[in-house]
Amino acid sequence: MIKFKKKFIAFLRHLLLAILVVIWLVPILWLVVTAFSGYSGVNKTHFFPQSWTINNFVTLLTKPDSVVQYGTWFKNTLIISIFTCIISTLFVLMVSYAFSCMRFRGRKELMSFSLILNMFPGVLSMIAVYFVLKSIGLTNSHLGMIIVYSAGSGLGFLIVKGFMDTIPVSLRESAKLEGASEFKIFTKVVMPICKPIIVYQIISSFLIPWGDFVFAKLMLNSGVSKDYTVAIGLYNMLDRSLVNEYFAIFCAGGFVVSIPISILFIIMQKYYVEGVTSGAVKG
Amino acid sequence: MSKKNTPTKKESIKENKKESGFKTYFKELGEAISKGDWSVKLSMLFMGAGYTAHKQIIKGILLTLFEALSIVLFVIFAIPSLKDFGTLGTVKFEKILDPATLQTTVNDYDNSFTILLGSIVSLFLVFVFILIWIANIKAVYRLQLIDQLPESINKPHINNFWGGIKTLVNNKFHITLLFLPTVGVILMNIIPILVLIAIAFTNYDQNHMPPNALFTWVGLANFKSLFTNTVTSSFSYAFGKILGWTLLWAVLATVTTFFLGILLAMLINVKGVKFKKMWRTLFIVAIAVPQFVTLLLVRYFFDDAGIVNSVLGNLGIVDVLKNIGLVNEHLNYIPFLSSEHWAKFMIIMINIWVGVPYQMLIATGVLMNIPTDQIEAAKIDGATNFQAFVHVTMPYVLFIQGPALITDFVKNINNFNVIYLLTNNSYITPDQAMANANGKEVDLLVTWLFRLTNEYYNYKMASVIGIIVFIICAVFTLTLFRKLMSGGREEQFQ
Repeated sequence: MIKFKKKFIAFLRHLLLAILVVIWLVPILWLVVTAFSGYSGVNKTHFFPQSWTINNFVTLLTKPDSVVQYGTWFKNTLIISIFTCIISTLFVLMVSYAFSCMRFRGRKELMSFSLILNMFPGVLSMIAVYFVLKSIGLTNSHLGMIIVYSAGSGLGFLIVKGFMDTIPVSLRESAKLEGASEFKIFTKVVMPICKPIIVYQIISSFLIPWGDFVFAKLMLNSGVSKDYTVAIGLYNMLDRSLVNEYFAIFCAGGFVVSIPISILFIIMQKYYVEGVTSGAVKG
Repeated sequence: MSKKNTPTKKESIKENKKESGFKTYFKELGEAISKGDWSVKLSMLFMGAGYTAHKQIIKGILLTLFEALSIVLFVIFAIPSLKDFGTLGTVKFEKILDPATLQTTVNDYDNSFTILLGSIVSLFLVFVFILIWIANIKAVYRLQLIDQLPESINKPHINNFWGGIKTLVNNKFHITLLFLPTVGVILMNIIPILVLIAIAFTNYDQNHMPPNALFTWVGLANFKSLFTNTVTSSFSYAFGKILGWTLLWAVLATVTTFFLGILLAMLINVKGVKFKKMWRTLFIVAIAVPQFVTLLLVRYFFDDAGIVNSVLGNLGIVDVLKNIGLVNEHLNYIPFLSSEHWAKFMIIMINIWVGVPYQMLIATGVLMNIPTDQIEAAKIDGATNFQAFVHVTMPYVLFIQGPALITDFVKNINNFNVIYLLTNNSYITPDQAMANANGKEVDLLVTWLFRLTNEYYNYKMASVIGIIVFIICAVFTLTLFRKLMSGGREEQFQ
């Protein structure tokens, strides 16, 4: 009897999980099936399309028109994200090392100041940034977007610094005794230990331009489809006047961009959990 | 553990001694100026003089060049902006049609925004220059003190130019590390923030848009109109409502995703659940798709004439909801994202959909590292599963996750994507007073200020709102972080 009860509870657990998974996956499923839909607008009565086709993908990838420039958008976003990724990873690592491993005058004040600065809504200061970049002619350009995404990235040091805080001081002390300079300690001692959190940092900063919507919308306002990033391009397809013609293509575009992003995201999560929780293990 | 801690403690004591604040900073400066010899005093005027007098020619020349360059830049760039800083410009933009040539010429007008921006950048650079100038005086005074030491004792080593460069990769490595990120932060954060704080005290809006019109200082008028209701302005009404919803949203969004995430993680982690990895991956797939794609999709999913409504209508659920009063009688659909209460409910639910898998992942990691001996000890003492969860598991999770919870709360206050992508174009406010202030019931302060700037060019009010959001977030985080960080949490694990 008890065994039966246990089995029943286990069954209920699995059932609950299955129901939850269905809820979580319904929108994704809708995205995928609509991407293969023969009807180009929003299907309002049927979940599954009545006719199937791969034309949406063909149009998306091979026939750029005035609205859809998917290949160009993908290239734009890729260029921006590669540079953003390099610059912000370096910035974050540099700031984290300085704050975590070095002791200097004004360190705590500087840290609190950065924390406070990070509280300021980015959306708001972005408007001033827009004017600044506009006055030097960098809106609607790759360089401008790279600056927007990476220049202030040094403020996001909290997670990486938290990880570096868990590295035993004795490691650095002994390296110092052997005559290593701080630069050597940074590159040869601390960086190798930080591998999981560096991977996390690399992927998460790489993903910013792919997921960002606000800043790109502010900065890329030329109305020229060629300048867009994937996010803005896709959003633009849902304009009232375009949605009936482009909704299925939007889904196809969302589907295509999701594949690499999801893979990177899943890798990143693994390293994030590893990095964030490893501190607790060492304690 | 204690052995490891010794050097850290020493270091932090040293650090505390050094960090005694502004007072010493100015005291040292006063001492340097009053007790300094002629070389210190001369370097107040010519920055390189002190170093040259102490036989460091390269440093002396570089500093003097730096000073000369600063002065030239100041005269060329700063003075033209700063002289109009008080008025933000007086010459209006005018087009003159020359009747002889039939060509329009534009007069030499003032652009208020350029003046404001130029002045703030100039003031900031002047501030930096003064800091360097003070540092130079102190350094020269230190050289003097070292020179005055009697020959007999071992003098501290003085860095020459190349030695100074070397310390930048060693003792003073932090300066090298922090230099570029700081420049970036100044460009992207500090200067824009200063500009926006300044704009909050001007009348920069749709009627005062440079280059065609000038704007000027108005003192505290914008703050007044945000806090007092008048016949012409309903900003304070809208502000109260939106602030209330923003705070409610931030609390609900943070708490629901956090606890449901832990519950989901525990549901998967329980012994006897098969295919643990598969379940987790399925949930992650849902959030791995870029947020803007899923959110835009979900908006069409729950559209008034969307698929959910047509399915629920066919099943007769819409009629049931009508009968119990959850849906207005005149509608034949569920206004998921178009009526206030439904929209707020849906936003929270959709946010749970977006946020729970993240929290589940993190909670899984935290739960796996939980010291099991404590839970077992609690159970031996007769605690039920539930009691063990409340008294052992939760405190542990909260300890590890505390700082993350605070950041989540602040992120939710500024959660632009969920609200904007779900409600822009689909929610229209029925409240005239809200509409007058360009707000919506479902807006957060950030989405409100985004639309104020992006659609209505009301920069002055947006700046005021931004400052208030900033104050709320800063006060909140600082109080909580101080509580969490006290007790040397930072160096606990070193």
